[in-house]
This record gives sequence, structure tokens and C-alpha cells, in this order.
Amino acid sequence: MIPLTQQVLTMLGWIILALAISPMVWLIFQPYFKGLSSAERRAATLLHEILTAEQCRQLAWRGYVEIPSPSSTQRIYRVPRTRGYVQVIENGQAIMRLCIQPVEYLPDADVVVLHKLMIEANEDFYLQKANKYLCSE
Amino acid sequence: MGMLRVMSRRGDDRLTWDQQKAQVGDPEALAAVREAERIFAQERAKGATAFKLDPGKPAQRIETFDETAEQIVLVPRVVGG
Repeated sequence: MIPLTQQVLTMLGWIILALAISPMVWLIFQPYFKGLSSAERRAATLLHEILTAEQCRQLAWRGYVEIPSPSSTQRIYRVPRTRGYVQVIENGQAIMRLCIQPVEYLPDADVVVLHKLMIEANEDFYLQKANKYLCSE
Repeated sequence: MGMLRVMSRRGDDRLTWDQQKAQVGDPEALAAVREAERIFAQERAKGATAFKLDPGKPAQRIETFDETAEQIVLVPRVVGG
């Protein structure tokens, strides 16, 4: 028979182990939980209404959407599905990364919509507001 | 139907109005238009940018409320990160 103290120690060990791994488990599953929220679902609906079918596919398969610049045919903006830098690509080469964000929290899908609308209808202001990080060779 | 969508942490808050009824002076439709106009002005004052979306046309930035728009999306103020 296992002594009581050994049982208590075993249980404590399991509790400590569970507490130690729970942040990692949360980090892994957080995006899936976020996707289940009503805010994310509403934002995803708007995103799918605004993107073209090709852009939706690109977002799903590649994790980013490419938005052509309305002012320059050689330039495209690569907007990631989740928060991060927007890459500026000219003639097939990344020349710059942009960091621009809303002042209040928005679901990820809404952030993609925000980038698309700003680039397509307010590009100068978008570039003026963004912090720019030039890509070196 | 016209629709105002205001982006927020809840996804987007929507307000719709019947453009045809508003044109003929239906009180309920006019009240909805006035409410949309009030929200539009309030969000613009906070620094939001407004975009008019019409099917088959590129998005267009607007400064004033347009009740004939099929959809208006208000995005919050942005800052460099």
C-alpha cells in the first residue's frame, strides 16, 4: 500500500505540472478559441464580403492577402491574416515593412479589412501614418 | 437598404435604414437615417475614417454621411506601431 504522504506528493506533482504547461496549451489553442467568438465571426463575415474570391483563397492558403496599390502598378501590399507587419513589394521584391494599427482592439479579420480599405481608398494617409522599416539586402 | 458598420472590439455594430422609405418621408426610416448620421458624426469626431462601399465599385473614402450609400464602414483611428 502506498503511504499517504507519497500520494499527496504525487498529486502535488501533477498539479505543478498542469500549472506549468497550461500557459503553453493556452497559447496553442488561443487562435481557435478566438475564432469561435461572436466578434471574430462577425468580423470574418465582413472580411468575406469585402475580399474577392481570389483574395479569400490567398488568405486561407497563404496566410496573407495581396492588395495592389491604386497609385503604382508595380507595388503590392502583403497584409497578414493575424497581427504583424505589412510588407510592401515592388517589382517582386520586398522593399519595406509597415507597422500601423488601430487605436482600439479589433478582431483580426477587421484589421485585415482596415488595411484593405485604407490602402485602396486612402493610400497616402496610410503611408503617412505607418512606421516604415526599410528592407536591406 | 443602407447599412452603417462601425468596427469595434465586438466585431462590427450595424445599423440599417430603408433608403426608399426614407425618400418618401417614412418617419421610422428617417429616424434610422438620423441615428446613423449621429453615429457617423460621433465616430468621425473620434478620428474614425469612413468608407463607402457600393457593389462592383472600389471603396471610396467619404467625409460626410451619405444616406444613398449601400454600405458605409467606419474604421477607428490608426497610428504607426
